[in-house]
Amino acid sequence: MATLLQQLINGLVLGGLIALIALGYTMVYGIIQLINFAHGEVFMVGGFASLATYSYVLPESWRDHGHWPIALPLMALGGAVVAVVLAVAMERLAYRPLRNAPRLAPLITALGVSVILKEAVRLWYPGATAPVPFPRAFVDEQFRFQLGEGTVTIGATAILMIVVSILGAIILQTYITRSRMGRAMRATAQDPDTARLMGVNPNRTIVLTFTIGGALAGLAGVLYGIHITNVDTEVGFLYGIFAFTAAVLGGVGSIKGAVIGGFAIGLIKTLSGQYLPGGTQYDLVWIFVLLIVVLVFRPQGLFGEPERVRA
Amino acid sequence: MSKPTNSVTGSVAIPPGLARPLGIGGGVLAILGALLPWVTFLLNDGAYPDKATLQFFDAPYAVSGFRLHVLLLGVVAIVAHFIPVPLRRVLRALGWGLIGVAAVNIVFPLVDGGGFGAITSDGTNFAFGGIVSLIAGIALVLAAKTGPLEPVPQWKTSVPTLVAYAVLVVSFVALLLVVAMMLNAGGQGGVGNPYAGPIFLSLLAFLAGVLGALHGIGLTGWISGLSDKHKWFSVIVLVLVALALPFTEAGTDYWMTTAANIGVYAATAIGLNIVVGLAGLLDLGYVAFLGIGAFVAANFSGAAAAAFDIELPFVVAAIIAAVVAGIFGAVVGSPTLRVRGDYLAIVTLAFGEIFKKAAQNNIGGLTGGANAIPNVPPINWFGASFDESLTIGSLELPSGVLYYVLIIVLVALVMVVFANLKNSRIGRAWIAIREDEDAARAMGIKTGQAKILAFLIGATLAGLAGAVFAHKTSTVAYDSFQFIESVTLLAAVILGGMGSIPGAVLGAALLLVLPEKLREFSDYRLMLFGLALVLIMRFRPQGLVPDRHRRAELADEGADGVPIEELNVHDTPGDEKAVTR
Repeated sequence: MATLLQQLINGLVLGGLIALIALGYTMVYGIIQLINFAHGEVFMVGGFASLATYSYVLPESWRDHGHWPIALPLMALGGAVVAVVLAVAMERLAYRPLRNAPRLAPLITALGVSVILKEAVRLWYPGATAPVPFPRAFVDEQFRFQLGEGTVTIGATAILMIVVSILGAIILQTYITRSRMGRAMRATAQDPDTARLMGVNPNRTIVLTFTIGGALAGLAGVLYGIHITNVDTEVGFLYGIFAFTAAVLGGVGSIKGAVIGGFAIGLIKTLSGQYLPGGTQYDLVWIFVLLIVVLVFRPQGLFGEPERVRA
Repeated sequence: MSKPTNSVTGSVAIPPGLARPLGIGGGVLAILGALLPWVTFLLNDGAYPDKATLQFFDAPYAVSGFRLHVLLLGVVAIVAHFIPVPLRRVLRALGWGLIGVAAVNIVFPLVDGGGFGAITSDGTNFAFGGIVSLIAGIALVLAAKTGPLEPVPQWKTSVPTLVAYAVLVVSFVALLLVVAMMLNAGGQGGVGNPYAGPIFLSLLAFLAGVLGALHGIGLTGWISGLSDKHKWFSVIVLVLVALALPFTEAGTDYWMTTAANIGVYAATAIGLNIVVGLAGLLDLGYVAFLGIGAFVAANFSGAAAAAFDIELPFVVAAIIAAVVAGIFGAVVGSPTLRVRGDYLAIVTLAFGEIFKKAAQNNIGGLTGGANAIPNVPPINWFGASFDESLTIGSLELPSGVLYYVLIIVLVALVMVVFANLKNSRIGRAWIAIREDEDAARAMGIKTGQAKILAFLIGATLAGLAGAVFAHKTSTVAYDSFQFIESVTLLAAVILGGMGSIPGAVLGAALLLVLPEKLREFSDYRLMLFGLALVLIMRFRPQGLVPDRHRRAELADEGADGVPIEELNVHDTPGDEKAVTR
């Protein structure tokens, strides 16, 4: 029982992380129908940028446990700012020139950008050829419950992860449904040409989309770092795929879908690792199988609308 | 006032009156540049730093190596003014070649701390050669911008058969010699010769310039027209020429091994080209089929770690490998019935990852997991082990030559399969699907069958290549078949030109030879792949050797009806357009 509860909690934490990344995927796909393959790498760079903020920007005296209320927001800011700059630069330099190209072109470009980002960090961040440790005893409160025979543990970082992801999704949903720019985004997603006629600037809207996606990915990066206590160039690709699966599962373009999809993927990963034959060696395989099944049988996902036929 | 000619290429408008001064002046400058001292004084046999001095003055007019190239480019640029050729096209190619040669030979000593080309001196003497040649190159390029580019002349291809044969033989032999020269330029790279990279790049720039000029006067078009007309003859000559590579200066163990690797990748890339280039289905997990072929062959090879305790003859094992890979191809392709476009790409990626995970976990005891399947014996036919050197009469051939021959035969076979498929009913169906799936279906094409068949055939070819791969590398491990290898294959196809046969081979060759030559950049290999993908999609989506008959989907018109080539500023305005106008 305790094991199950523990795995449920782990799944929710992982799910929150995946949901944060998936939001960026789903928004970008919703608005320009691009699978932004490099989005996972933006998340990874966000993690490294927040670590760099800690190691190279924060004064020495702020790096202890007591200073986390200042240090953590600053790290998050560092990670998010770098991730936003990166995401916007990516859109401007790589994707915008291909706006009218056939669909394979931007996808292949995104693949190239993803490889470039990963390699850039691996080559140029000090020590990034191996996982780089995050400061350990930084935010490390653990809460334990006794449950029958076993114990269940929740770390402060785990709670933070779940709270931030849900809060982020709610704020985003409100912004998109209530604000003027949110309406512009929805209009551009539905029909860019008509949106332009109605006075919406599509380029500005798209940049805004990448900005929000980048910020959330950067935030996810810092949360991942303090929770897992290291960051690695490999995680971008892996979590990018998880997040994409989540976005598709929930229905691409839907905020609610991305969040629910994220939590579902997180739970599937931890529970299949615990209870299915093959254990953690095959937990990724189940997620990929799920991805294939969803794409084949319900490509519009759980909450999405059937895809419009595009020329 | 009339607006100056609105050239797509240039934001700078050069008055036509300057054409001659710039062109001839550039040529003269290039000749001067060749004779002036260069700080990178490398004769092809000398090490970089030793020769990177100004000792040039001891033998003022001796030219060889890259200085000979500069001299040649300059002379040709001047001569071109006095013979009837599309001058601006030729000058543009020569100019870029000159810029390339000069830039490489200026930048490398700069990187090496030798100082900037023009201003390093040994006290009193200055080495202006690089700068002068660079200026010469820029002058030529500017001369080419004084007007629109001329159309490429079309030479008559109705020549007597014997003449055509002679021309083809000569061109293919010349190609062989150039390839051997390129492979050998500067040696193998790495510790042995740290300057192999710049020497090779410099030669590459020169050859690109020459090739561009030849294209400009219509020669390459003529030759490819002839080879189109005498297809079978060209294929046979090409295979013979490729088989002659071991007899040239590039016939070393090292290049035989590299060439065999290129062959494996080229065969796989051609298979991928069927899926991506012809049918327009993006496959991001393609390397899995190579892996399946390799694991199957390894298991039937009699290796100690194999799952089956039988040793099948290579041919049988290769056929089984191809069939198994083909079956998996059909399975992976089956979602194409319902999934389209980039969603399909993700499905194939997921399959690739599932394969990797399964192989990593030693599924069914078939893959050896982290231990891999080591010690796969080399192929052995008629008592000749394929990994040993071969002596025919008094001629000693390097080891690995038999693998090389086998791979050449395999690649030739795959090319023939591809060429025939492409022009067959099914090939046309694939292209129709690539262009517009709904229209293809409306025309009565069974799109589902056709798409699965594309995956099946592509995977079969990859499985065949995998069987050779297993024996050649002797260790088959799951980590040889990761996502990044799929990206590499895709990069080879895209770099060469989607749907184009020579393109896939050229792409694979470039992606494998360049890292061998540019060892000093080996850390940046993957990053350069990524950069290549981005830049090609941006500036030349049709690839280096575009499929001539049908423009690939990626060179298609944009949504605004503007051809992609016109949407960018740096690329040449479409060659095809110039011809049809």
